[in-house]
Amino acid sequence: MFGAQKDRKAVKTRRLTAVVLLFAVSACVTSLSRASELDSRIEALKSQVHEHSANVFALQQSILHPANTRLAVFLTLGAGDTLELDSVELYLDGEPVASHLYSARELRSLDNGGVQQLFTGNLSSGEHELKTVVSAQAANDHFVRRESVYRFTKRPGPFRIQMSLDAQAPDFEPRVVFHEWK
Amino acid sequence: MKDVFLKKLALVTFGLAITGSGFAGASKEPMSAEQLRNGLVRFALANNELAPVLNSASRLEGPSADFLRAQLLLASGRTEDAISELKAVIDGDYHRADAALLLGKTLLHYQDPEAQQWLELAVRVGGRETGSEAGFYLAELHRSNGHSEKAGQVLGGLAAGYWAAVGYMNLASDYAREDLNAVRALVSLRVALAMAEQDPEVSRRKVLTGRLLVRAGYLALQNNDYDKAISFLEGVSLDGDNNLTAQALYFHGLALSKKGSSRAAMQSWHRAKKYPLAYPGVADSWIGMGRGYDLSGYLGQSGEAYLAATAALESERVTLRNLAEQIREGGAYNTLLAKARDTGVEWFLADHRIKTQPRIAYLHELLQEPEAQKAVSRVAELDAVGSELEREARDLDVFIRSLKSQLTTLSRQKPDVVGGLLSTQRFLHKELSALSAQPLSAIQRARLDAVAETLAETSTDLTTFGRSVQNQPLELERLLAEARSLKSSTERLYGQVQVLRREADRQLDELALEFVSEQDRRMVLVQDKAEQQIAHLYEYLAVSKMEGREP
Repeated sequence: MFGAQKDRKAVKTRRLTAVVLLFAVSACVTSLSRASELDSRIEALKSQVHEHSANVFALQQSILHPANTRLAVFLTLGAGDTLELDSVELYLDGEPVASHLYSARELRSLDNGGVQQLFTGNLSSGEHELKTVVSAQAANDHFVRRESVYRFTKRPGPFRIQMSLDAQAPDFEPRVVFHEWK
Repeated sequence: MKDVFLKKLALVTFGLAITGSGFAGASKEPMSAEQLRNGLVRFALANNELAPVLNSASRLEGPSADFLRAQLLLASGRTEDAISELKAVIDGDYHRADAALLLGKTLLHYQDPEAQQWLELAVRVGGRETGSEAGFYLAELHRSNGHSEKAGQVLGGLAAGYWAAVGYMNLASDYAREDLNAVRALVSLRVALAMAEQDPEVSRRKVLTGRLLVRAGYLALQNNDYDKAISFLEGVSLDGDNNLTAQALYFHGLALSKKGSSRAAMQSWHRAKKYPLAYPGVADSWIGMGRGYDLSGYLGQSGEAYLAATAALESERVTLRNLAEQIREGGAYNTLLAKARDTGVEWFLADHRIKTQPRIAYLHELLQEPEAQKAVSRVAELDAVGSELEREARDLDVFIRSLKSQLTTLSRQKPDVVGGLLSTQRFLHKELSALSAQPLSAIQRARLDAVAETLAETSTDLTTFGRSVQNQPLELERLLAEARSLKSSTERLYGQVQVLRREADRQLDELALEFVSEQDRRMVLVQDKAEQQIAHLYEYLAVSKMEGREP
């Protein structure tokens, strides 16, 4: 008698466990599907926001930086991967206009041919001075902070300057090479 | 770091020897327009500022253009388009392995079975790093399908390094779960340790090695191999301010205690006690101290240690209740993350804070869970998008005001704006001609030539400017209409972001509250143990007294 009761009890317990497990699994699946549905909605909204931000940026460029007075400064790293760039500061006619601290990801991107638009602004035609202060760790493990000055004449129309950073053996001294694009 | 640089140095020297002057010339050449566009996209992908480059995606050229475009599409949320673009890249000649890996990872995220074929392709055609990463994800795919053997075969073909090490670590977890003894799991962990040694990234290698050693130590302990456990655990760095060190110290004490060295065990537990109770092993170390005193025969100190443990655990439960209250009131993101980020002027104490603030310690523990990581990143992403839209709305407000004011100014201005400037231009030209007629040095001549060039360009500009001034009101009206339309879509999108943000917040709050109550349950369990020990101790003392013998 007690044995049959025990069996019934065991079956009941097993059923109860199965139901609890089923609930637990279905709750887990529901929460997962809720999360993945939210992810899809975020992804769709992200795409709209990015498109919108690009339009706002284009409008901003046309209002704030008319082509005639526009100056853009780009930064690239020379070949060789010999410079662990820490930060770059940019001064235009003695005024600080841009600075950047580099993350490891950004450095990898620069090493692989990435180009950073360090500064975009407006500048009157005529002679100007661009000063850059580079802090970096060279391949010989030395920490260096170097200033480079470049004088240029801004002419009407968009004006772009490429700053190329390099440090070559044997001294691994950071050098900044400037190029003008008219 | 030094090793990396020495390697770089060697590579550069080697490169110089091969390429000669080619290397020096590389930086002296200005970029082409194609290099500029591609380079800007590459950097934008790295710092996640896509707005400036999104419109130039269609104008990318060169061998890397399609792959960059695919990455841009993926980063900007256009996953379907990115998948088609990635498939096209795989069919092409360049970046096949990278594209296959990215496609495999993307499909894996959506649990698409097609992921396997792309990861296999990336393993086949990829170089060392790409192939290893693809191999890791392929092994993970096999593991998640319950095929540990297949995962092991994939990992066996990978080059030594970070990806292989993580793969073997995960495989060891499977073996530890499936097997009755720890041999296979320990072998996997040993292989993972050997693989991790080849990882050139120092900080990553250090964290991974610590994790592997703690796991190996735990498994050896489970296997009653105490000497082996001690040797593994002694390899864990004590400099770490994370949960690994605390856990390693607890296991180390446990192994020593099992070997009969209670005093040495207590030294480890005493060190573990300095870490927040949120970290695994710390609460047990508090109890361990009582047990250690008991085994060493100091029953008085043992009782005190147990009482101290219950007091500490009770106080921690109050902290947990407060934390749960704060999460309910302000949300998990604000309580755990936003406040933790606000270090103010005490930023230099950040390391110390991690060890002392329970909130940050619990955040650290919560973020060990992949689901919590996803939930937090969802909220963080929506938070960033919301802030960006707020900034854009403010900017657009300024533009709208400025454009309106420009239109008002223009309506009041005299029609002939250019006339005055043209007469100045004529005057300057006359002055320049007069100066040019003077006897001049070469330097003076060059300076005058530069002035003449600027003046000529200004003249051309003034003529076109005269025409554009007439069209300016129309252009400003167009910009104003565009700014207004963008402002209204900014507000619409901001509203949508807020809806999703509330949903993401709710999911994170649920996870965080569940985590906090789980921690509370853990504290109660340990507290019960401590109280039981105190009861046993008092019982023993009472019985000893009754029997008239020294305790």
